[in-house]
Amino acid sequence: MRYRAFVIILAAWLTSTASVASARIKLAALPERERVEIQLDNGNYTLVEEERIVPLLKSGKANNMIDFSWSNTAIDKDSILFRPVAVREGDKFRPVKMIKLADGTEAPEVNVINVAYPPNENALVWEVYSAEACACKVRVSYLISNLTRTFEYRALADKKEKVLTLRKFMVLHNYSGEDFLGAGVWAGFGPKFLKEVNQLDDLKLLMAKFTEVPIDKTFTFDWYTHGALNPDKPLASKILMHYRLTNDEKHKMGEFPLQPGKVRIFIEDGHGGEAFLGEDLAVLTPLDDTMKLYLGESRDIVCTRIIESNQRHAVRGNLCNQEIVIKYEIENFKDAPATLRMLEQLNRLGQQYFGNTHGDVEWEKGGKTSKEIRFDYEFGNATPILLVDLPARPADKDAKVEKVTVRFHVLLKNLWP
Amino acid sequence: MKHITTAITLTILAGLMLCPLAGLAKNVDLVTLPARDSVQLTIYNSEDLTLVKETRYVTFKKGVNKLQFSWANTLIDPTSVTFRPLEHKDDVELLDTVFPGQKPQHLIWNVQSKFEGQVKVEVTYFTSGLTWSMDYVAITDPDETKLHFRGYVRVFNNSGEEYENANVRLIVGTINLVEKIAELARRRGIPVPQPAAAPAVYEKLRREAAADGMARAEMPAEPSARPPVIVKEGLSEYFLFSVSGQETIPNGWSKRMQAVEARDVPFDIVYRMRAFQYGPRPVRFFIWRNDAEHKLGESPLPDGQVNLYRQLAPPAGGGDGSVDGLSFLARQQIRYVPIKAEIEINLGPDDLVVYETRRMGIERLNFHFQAVSGPPHEVVDGWDERTHWVDTIRNYRTKGIKFELRRQWDGDVDYDSEVATTLFDYRTTETTFDIDARSKRQYPATVTVHFGANATQQRVKLKENAR
Repeated sequence: MRYRAFVIILAAWLTSTASVASARIKLAALPERERVEIQLDNGNYTLVEEERIVPLLKSGKANNMIDFSWSNTAIDKDSILFRPVAVREGDKFRPVKMIKLADGTEAPEVNVINVAYPPNENALVWEVYSAEACACKVRVSYLISNLTRTFEYRALADKKEKVLTLRKFMVLHNYSGEDFLGAGVWAGFGPKFLKEVNQLDDLKLLMAKFTEVPIDKTFTFDWYTHGALNPDKPLASKILMHYRLTNDEKHKMGEFPLQPGKVRIFIEDGHGGEAFLGEDLAVLTPLDDTMKLYLGESRDIVCTRIIESNQRHAVRGNLCNQEIVIKYEIENFKDAPATLRMLEQLNRLGQQYFGNTHGDVEWEKGGKTSKEIRFDYEFGNATPILLVDLPARPADKDAKVEKVTVRFHVLLKNLWP
Repeated sequence: MKHITTAITLTILAGLMLCPLAGLAKNVDLVTLPARDSVQLTIYNSEDLTLVKETRYVTFKKGVNKLQFSWANTLIDPTSVTFRPLEHKDDVELLDTVFPGQKPQHLIWNVQSKFEGQVKVEVTYFTSGLTWSMDYVAITDPDETKLHFRGYVRVFNNSGEEYENANVRLIVGTINLVEKIAELARRRGIPVPQPAAAPAVYEKLRREAAADGMARAEMPAEPSARPPVIVKEGLSEYFLFSVSGQETIPNGWSKRMQAVEARDVPFDIVYRMRAFQYGPRPVRFFIWRNDAEHKLGESPLPDGQVNLYRQLAPPAGGGDGSVDGLSFLARQQIRYVPIKAEIEINLGPDDLVVYETRRMGIERLNFHFQAVSGPPHEVVDGWDERTHWVDTIRNYRTKGIKFELRRQWDGDVDYDSEVATTLFDYRTTETTFDIDARSKRQYPATVTVHFGANATQQRVKLKENAR
């Protein structure tokens, strides 16, 4: 059953303000909402702003008393604002103007004098001055609980996994106890929506659609995070797959930061349908940053990591360098070329083969490092990313998959126990 | 029908001048019941304390007059009640005050009068349950350059008494009390008398007195066309806010009135990156001062909650000419802001301003060795660690920003950067950047930390070119 959770009553103030709350007698019409705006741009607070036409009497012997009360809804009493914005003149509204008072000073023609809060009630009473009897457009705004928003995404990749279509949705959850009919809904960016938001409704609204977004599908090997793949392959480890999307104009996005939210990832199946690839929780992606969507593990790329040599060289006293050569043997069983990203956590390497590294390890590349390796420092100097391009598996049925072997020769410097 | 809760009465005990005090317990209360002529409330916000000053007209006879003052259902401190004549001061003298043991929440003044007739008297007392607080609403323009700042006082009446048409004064400042007024009001375990238990005649008189007060309260008055003016003035270490006109605040109610208003207040927007204070992301601050330059500074601003909004840009075409809606930016409790002091509102992280710090390289050098017996004969006991940091700040806003960066360092640190850097304290470096709209700045720094035997200090030392 629906019910109105709050009302504005233009009260004929029949009782003295000295009366107790239970004796307050309220009268007159309920001015309907002309417009409601739900502002969701602040992640912690939801602001509702409603516009009503309130008939005001000329302040002769007394000012107008406007009673605002609510029930079954969590309005923050301390946040309620009442703003007279326009006065009807003929069939149009004009802004509230300043008038000259008897004492020569100026004041708005419609002015809030004070607000009184009755005891033990979800209510307040505005005392409003009006120079003339008029229909006044007022805005009443307040913060409300249990009217929240989250963000969701739907990504659809093309079959070749080169581009995708990213849809961003705002999901509005209304558990506030109030219906908002014809409400303007805005998240602070993107389009404004005009929607009927009933209580207990969850509304999923399309905020943005980015098409032909270039994606980079990556394969990541990180020995120290994931360890051995299984007892049968003690030197291999997981290869994680991601789509990487850069939030900039070059990649056909870059309109606004991408808020955290769940991303459901689909792929075109080439027959007019779609297949579900999985889902991930995206973190906040500012402009120019990259959103990484985890897809799962690759079984078609296998990487084996072998410590080929491990030597300690004394420098002076107990100070020494540790020289390590890591050999990677990589096989790509996919029918497409790929680039493997291998993370080497050199602090962990130093701890494993030397011991205390006294903080971030100092290191330099050795001469045996393969030329095929490109280096990237997305995670800082102590965790280099080694990038290796892999050819597709041979088209020839009888040809074997070529094993790509590369070496990372690293000198961990100035170590001591 | 009105529900009457007025509890304070002042009764002249006529014809009892020669009676012993024991006779008072018989409640032969009669003659006149002087209504309040005026009430002034001075409410403190640092303590649950209100000084009530009321004036009444009392008719005296020559000789000793007994005046009874009672305060059922209220939180008045009995030790604070005072009486003094405002007229015929040389003829009217308070002889003593009696707190009858069998009549709680009553006292009797024995007043010697050489004058016969009506005298204006003043009764003052402390009560609790009347409090006030401040809150603020600030609305910026759509471009976030100026704001409309308003402060409101809200007076709460939970005292048990209804003060009608009272002059209200509010004290800003902290005072010292040895005992709480509410505790003094409840002292000796005095049960609060219920109205039904009062003698009928007494209750009748009380109703009449209250009805008289009500009648005055309902007298048609000229309605206000503007909120009451709140006059602010300094008083010793305190500030006094006096609400113009008279206010009636029924028991249990609260009333909110505008006390401060300033339009077109300019303010600064500053981003601060202080991981140790605000967390891992830069936070946005709106800052202005309580001074004349910022259209304020008339009085200190008491503690209170600030709700900060931004006016949204009006729709294309302007609609009916009225302003458009609001966007809620932040809520923060501010502490007492003296005149000329700054007001800072933290809006939290901004998705359009990004800060990253990255350790680009590290080297260890200047090893110090200590000789030991046996292999390896000497061991490292001191070293320096030199790290190359690059901080990047990206501003995606459509206007330039001011960005303040503070970083704390532990140990004996030498700090070097081509960007002017200062020390906030012995271990905190501070740098300020002006970053243009939609652009980024990089801040490289080389930080050398001395460890072990090489560490001789616990502080950051700036290299010459970093200053």
